[in-house]
Formats: sequence, structure tokens, C-alpha cells
Amino acid sequence: MGLRSYIVARILLTIPMIMLLLSIVFLIIRVMPGDPVLLHFEKKASEEAMEAMRQRLGLDKPIHIQYFEYLGGLLHGDLGKSMQDFSSVSDQIFSAFPATLELAIFSTLIAVAIGILLGVRASQSYNSLQDHSIRAFGIAVYAIPIFFLGMIFQLIFAIDFHWLPANGRFPPFLTEPGGLVLYLSKPAGGFVQVFMWAFPAGFVSWAICFVALKRKRIKFWLKGFFVSLLVLLAGWIVYAYLAWHFISVGVLHVSTGLFAIDSLIEGSPLKFVESLRYLFLPSLTLGLVLSGVFIRLTRSNMLETLRLDFVTAAKARGLKETAVVYGYALRNAFLPILTMMGLQFATLLGGAILTETTFSWPGLGRYLVDRINFRDYTAIQGAVVYFALIVAVVNLIVDVLYAYLDPRIRF
Amino acid sequence: MKKAKDSRKGVSTTVIVAAIILIIIVVVAALYALQLPPFAKPPFEGIIMGTTDSVESAIDPAQAYDFFGWEIIMNTGSGLVEIEPGSSAAPEDYNPALATSWTTSTDLKTWTFTLRQGVLFEDGTEFNASHVKYSFERNIGIASPDGPQLNMEYDAIIDTVEVVSKYVVKFNLKIPFSPFLGLMACQASYIVNPEYAGGWQTEWSTDDIVWYENGTDARTRNPMDLGPYKLTEWKRVAGKDDRMRLEANPNYWNKAAGLPKTEKIIIEFYADATALRLAIEAGDVDVAFRHITATDIEDLQGDPDLEVWEGTGAAIQYMVFQEDLLTGLPQLDDAKIRRALTAMLDRPDVCDTVFLGQASPLYSMIPTGMMGRPEGVPGPFKVLGDANYTYAKSLLAELGYNEDNKLKIELWYETSGHYPSSPDQAELYKAQFEASNVTEVTLESADWPSYRINRNEGVMHVFLYGWYPDYIDPDNYAFLYWAPWLGHHYTLYNATNNYIAMKAAYDAARASTDETERIDLYDELEDYAVEDCPVVPIWQGAAWAVTKPNIKGVYLDITQTWRIWLLYEEE
Repeated sequence: MGLRSYIVARILLTIPMIMLLLSIVFLIIRVMPGDPVLLHFEKKASEEAMEAMRQRLGLDKPIHIQYFEYLGGLLHGDLGKSMQDFSSVSDQIFSAFPATLELAIFSTLIAVAIGILLGVRASQSYNSLQDHSIRAFGIAVYAIPIFFLGMIFQLIFAIDFHWLPANGRFPPFLTEPGGLVLYLSKPAGGFVQVFMWAFPAGFVSWAICFVALKRKRIKFWLKGFFVSLLVLLAGWIVYAYLAWHFISVGVLHVSTGLFAIDSLIEGSPLKFVESLRYLFLPSLTLGLVLSGVFIRLTRSNMLETLRLDFVTAAKARGLKETAVVYGYALRNAFLPILTMMGLQFATLLGGAILTETTFSWPGLGRYLVDRINFRDYTAIQGAVVYFALIVAVVNLIVDVLYAYLDPRIRF
Repeated sequence: MKKAKDSRKGVSTTVIVAAIILIIIVVVAALYALQLPPFAKPPFEGIIMGTTDSVESAIDPAQAYDFFGWEIIMNTGSGLVEIEPGSSAAPEDYNPALATSWTTSTDLKTWTFTLRQGVLFEDGTEFNASHVKYSFERNIGIASPDGPQLNMEYDAIIDTVEVVSKYVVKFNLKIPFSPFLGLMACQASYIVNPEYAGGWQTEWSTDDIVWYENGTDARTRNPMDLGPYKLTEWKRVAGKDDRMRLEANPNYWNKAAGLPKTEKIIIEFYADATALRLAIEAGDVDVAFRHITATDIEDLQGDPDLEVWEGTGAAIQYMVFQEDLLTGLPQLDDAKIRRALTAMLDRPDVCDTVFLGQASPLYSMIPTGMMGRPEGVPGPFKVLGDANYTYAKSLLAELGYNEDNKLKIELWYETSGHYPSSPDQAELYKAQFEASNVTEVTLESADWPSYRINRNEGVMHVFLYGWYPDYIDPDNYAFLYWAPWLGHHYTLYNATNNYIAMKAAYDAARASTDETERIDLYDELEDYAVEDCPVVPIWQGAAWAVTKPNIKGVYLDITQTWRIWLLYEEE
């Protein structure tokens, strides 16, 4: 099976998986004790009022009708209306998603960086004091309750030194970064802004080409220059097209919802630094706790790999230690780490409940807890569909990366 | 050898690429930095408040029943009268607001208000008597199952609202009602702006409530106007309040008095009490209010960089005895059982151990500070004593309960933090009951939404509940003796002699403006309650806030609501 058909098959397999999950959740939350209708009344309500509410929530219909209606909505991408406040569940999930994603990305980066560096270090100095200390550190950070570590950081960095904010996602006195706003009716201003991102984008593309083509010994400086120009040109063409196409709208809004990135594309260094300051403590806390797993995983896999013949051979050929360890051994030991990264990242995208609560981080974790308490059927179902999709997508990406990392793997 | 050479080169290329990317980042950062304003935090001219509360229902007087919804209504709207900040809401403490003067008929069934002239809504329309009529008819007409017309019986009190002239409005009541000014001062009686409240119409339904979801921005998400502030931002993330911004209302009727004192207010919402405490300690917020735990308050009192404010508390906690027969449990329909359990409670113990002295024992459902309940005079339940085991045992012995045949009860508490330290309280009450040696207690708990349902369904044997007032009058506490949703003695047996006498005393107190007479009537009412113990007062909380030391204008009075417009930062 080629990679393409593998991806198609995986995507197709995701559908029955989600259907099955959804059906189970649909049934389970309906047999759970607690009636969402009752939760809408502070005082004991009349039968008519309850019946009206039941109708409004769509719970008056037989359960199979409810089920098919929900599936019908789902086909149109509609996750339904919240049973708590009647607003769109997709809107609610999407409003909390960027915060969760941002935290997940940064904490995974921290966890992987710490985990791999220390894990490799430990494997290199097997059975030494350094190895033991790193292992102890790994176990300690993994065992420490996340809210406890979070509170210690808050006490040190926020309360004692006043270096970082204790809670929240963005300073209240600033308007949240809105991303890139192109005023298409004012070509001059837009032109400058396009240049601001098209030019660096050109450079990055050139750098990628440079790495990809390095073996062909092409005059990469020249090539790089052309690639940058091309991207720049492409940027302006896209801009011109949008300006022409959306001229009646006047404003083109590009934002990711990730404050650190939006501040950058908005071009606000102040907001960028502020968003990082707010992000720092929660991601460090979560990253440190998760790094424990990566330390142990990297260490044990590296220990096995470092014993293999090709490592000895590479060393015998006089390669530098770092080149052998990071260039050869780590790449071979990386598959299980990648799997773990994918799993952890997917879990984090479901919301890091404890971290989010400790740092008042407005993400999905807090959302889910609230909704389960309220027996908000549609919100819980929506969250499950969303989570299943995330897990499926992340796993798919991990599988594709496998093929890239290990040329022996073919699908 | 070739391979080795290649990989050496590979490492160095990686370094080159990394260096290039780094250079790009630096160049881009430099470009931004050159192009954009200098990198410095803009000073925020205003006050940042932090809270763990949130708007549970809507910022609409026809629907809101929750503390924080009322908080925002009070600061973005105005009523006919206001309670003097810091006062105890005695009759002389009612100040003119949208009404400049008022009179009442001798039978207390007609109240006439003369309105302030020249008060402008946002669009420049002048406020007049028709807006008052509109607001009340809308409020009563919407008849939300949770709205004030049910909670506070607006429709049982107000018959008609009559526009006498442009600036005179008359309320014709169904019953004589002496606490009417109190009712007018509460947020449910605030005037709404018809433009955002559903327009001029006479047929109302719950569909006309202005919910957060109905609007697209802060302005269209609430019908308030005429208050010291305008709500300019109301942001929810995933259905949870995240941030609010209040800005001074340029049309505020009391602007000439220099109000509001601070032009801009930001309200930040925190996940829990710990987060809020950290935020005030870290200096992220200027004011932290509701809820900071008793332990945190005690800690922060020693912090020289912070100021801790204590105010009168009008919030009370009480215990309810459910009298329906529940499977496997003794029915609590004999007053002797309820009196015995009440006598076992040790209120000072709860206040000292759970609340570290930050709550005070309560011996009347009408808390200290209210009319007829001065400091230092314990209420009628004091006669049953605290940890009065001898008396309790003798009562239970009459019913055949003793060390060998213990009275088994289930004590319920909520676990969502809706009331302060409920689990700790429940543990302690269990210990107090069991110290009698004739009672056996099983603790049961539920999260707040389920707890509320359980209460409505009448499945909790003995449970803890709380109240903070809608309007500041003993009337708004005494009714808890027959609040239908509590399911206790009087809500089930409302034909007993005691009940009839109590209800008569209650109605007579409503119909009297004579303070002494009203106090006597409430005492009489509570004497019956002590005999029957359907609900039992336990403690009265104090209100606490923590601010930076330069924050002034904090009034924590019996209304329990912050007058944000009086807050200011001292230079």
C-alpha cells in the first residue's frame, strides 16, 4: 500500500471510530443520573415550564430521533447548541481551542527539549552519578502533582519576584492580539505589511530548499535568492488578488488565536513578549511534568541503540561523539519518542485540566469540567467528536512521520 | 571515508542553517522594532478587579438572580432609590436616585415617586415615568421561572404602575408593603433601556430576556443604562466569563458629584480562590473580591503590601430538615427530633474552626445588623443552646433513641464551592451530632447543579443551604420559613397552628411601618420557629476584600454589592 492510499484508508477508518465513540457517549450520558432540564431552574418549576424547557432542549423527542437529528447536524458540521446557554457548541469549543493549542505546543516543546537532552545525556553517562541524578529528576518531576509544581512556580516567579504574572492568558490592559489585519482598501499600508511577512517567509523557504538541495551542490546562494523573490512575488500576487476580490469587505483578518503568533503577525513586540510571559509558567509546569516520561523513554531507547554495531562503527570511523549520538543513534531511537509525543500532544489538546485551573488558563479542560457538571449533553458530545478527531489526526501525522524518519517503514 | 566527510559537513550545514534562521529572526525582530512604537507597557488608567464569581444567568433585571449578575446591574444601571453606602439600610438610609422624592398612602398600598428630570439614555432620549412603567411591566410580564417576579413575588406585591405625569409615577400595590423602598433599591427594580430590552411592547415572554448569546457585543448583551458605568466589553471563552470592561457613562445623572471616581474598570475572572489570591499577591489585580478563603484572609492580613477589608455580611447559612419520608431513614416530622438536632449544633465551634473567626454564630434567620437584630443580642434560637447534649438526649429519649438505638441521619453538603468550606463544615456538624452518642450521621455530597436538583426533588434528609438577600429587609429573610423550594416542615404542613400564626405575623409586619411593632412581630414569628425548627440558622458570614493599599472607596456593607463607582486609586 502506498502512503497515499494508507492515509485515505486511515481517514476512512476514522469515521466508524468517531461514530462508535459518539454513539456510546450519546447513550451513556443519557443514562447518567441528572436531568439537564432540572438544571435550568433555580426553584422548583411547574410541569408546564419543565415541559417547555424540555422541548426547547429537544429532549422531548424519542431518543433515536434525537440521535439521528444529532448525526444529521454533525454531517453539516453542526455540533448543536449547548444545553446550558443555548449557544453553538462549535463556537464554544473553537473559542477555547486556541488557548489549549498554544499551551499544548509550548509545553510539548519544553517537555521534548528537556526530555531528549537529559535522556541522551543520561544514556551517554550510563550508571554514573549524572545518570542517576537525571533519572531521579525524571521520576521526581513525573511524580510531582502538577498543581503543586504550578503553585510553587507562582509563588517564586509571581509573588516573590514579581517577574511573571500568576494567572491568566494576556494582560488585561492590552487589547488581545488580533493577528494580521490587512486594510485592503489602502494598498500602500497593506503593501508594507505583506512585505513584512512575505520577505521572511521567502528566506525561510530558501533555507528549506538549501537544506533539501545541499547534496546537489547547486549554487544555493543564487537559488535561495530566487526562491525568496518568488515567495515575495507570490505574496504580492495573493495580496493583489485578495485586494481585488475582497475590496468591498475592505479588511482581511488573518489570525490563529494563538496569542504569541498573532502578536508577531500583528507586528507587536510588546504583545508578543507579554503573551510569552503569560505562557511561560503554565507551559514550564506542564512541560517539566511531562518531560519525566521523555527522559526515561529517551534514555532507555538510547541505551539500546548506543550498544548497536553501527554506532561503534561510526565511532570507529572517527566521527564526533555529538554527530554519532544526535545524528545517528537518536534518529534510530526516535520512533517510540515520536509515538509518545503524538499521544501526549493529543491528550494535551483535550485540555490540561489541572494546569488550566491552576493558572486560570481559559482552555478546553475547564470547559469540559463545567459542562459535565451541568449535564450539557450536546457540549460533551461535541467535545468527544472533537477529541476523537484530534487523536485521529495527530496519530495520522505521527504515522506519516514514521515513514520519513525510518525509510524501512512502508505502508 | 566519504561518508564520514559527508556527515561532518552535515553537522556544519545544520549549524549554518540554524545561524541563518537566527539571523532572519533577529533581522525581522529589528525590522518590527524599527517600524513600531517603542517597546514599553502603556500605563493603564483604571482599576483591575479580580473575582471568582461570574454571571450565572443574565445581566437583565427580569432574569438575574445571581450575585454577580446583580453586581453588574447595579454598576451599569440605576433604580428609583439607592441605599447609602456603608449604612445599615435603615429607613433614613434610602437616598434619591432616579426619583427625587416619594410619598406613600397611609395604608401602604400606594407609593408615588417624583422623578429626576434631564436624565438621558444613551441615545439622548430623556428618562421619564413611562420608562418606569415599562421596566416593571416587562419584569413582571417576562415571568421567568427564576426571575424576581417569582423569587421576590413582584406580581404578588405590585398591582399596577401608573404614569401620573411625565415625571410622576405611582405604584398601586395588591398588599400593604412597608419594605417597598427596599424593593425599589434592589437591582431587580432597575430601569432598563427599551431599545435594548426588546422595544416598546406589552406582551412579554421569557423569549424577551436579554441573554449573553442574544447579542453580538457587550452593548447588545444587556438592557442596562442610566448607571455610572457602561459595559463596553463582556468576553466569554467557552461559555465562561473571562473579562469585562466598564467605562464611565458620560450621561450618568450623578456625574456632577464626580462619579464614577474611576473612569475605567477591568474585571478579570479567575478559576478559583487560590488563583485569585495569587493574582492579588502578584499585583496582577488591584482588588480581589469574592471568594478568598478564611485561611487566605488570615494570611494576607499580615501582608504590608495589601489591605484586607472586612464588611458586614448579610449572607447566612442554615440547616434544613427535610420532612418527607425517605427510604431507610427516620422521618423528621416530629419537632422533638429537629429541636434535639438543633440543640446539638455548636455554632461558635464552626465559626472558630472552619472560618477562623471570620463568621459569627447565628441564632435567628434574620441576621445581625438588620432591624431588630443589633450586635451582641443573640436571636431566639439561642434558647436551645450550643452543644446542648443533655437537652437533646432527653428529647430523643422520649422518642426511644439512645446509645443502643441511635437516630440515623443523612447530612448533605455541596462540593462545588458554591458555599464556603462546605465539606469542612459538614465534617464538623457530623462530629458535633455524633458527640451526643445517640446520633449516627452519614455524610452525602453532590456538585452544586445536582445539589439544587436534589433540593427540588426533596431527596436530601438534612442539608446545608445559604441565602443572601434580594432586598435589605427582615422580610426577605423571614420568608425562608416557608420558601416552597426548601421542602421543610412548613412547606409540607402549612395548616398547623404555628404556621398560621407565623404567616399572620409576617403579613402584619409587611403592613406596618412602625419599627417597634415590626420587630415584635418578627420576634413572635421566630419564637414559633424555635418550637418547630423547620430550618435552623447556623452562621452569618462577613464580607471580605483584599486590595492594594492605595485603593480607596471600598464599601462592604449589608447590600453585599460593590459600588464600583466609588472606588479610586490614591495618588
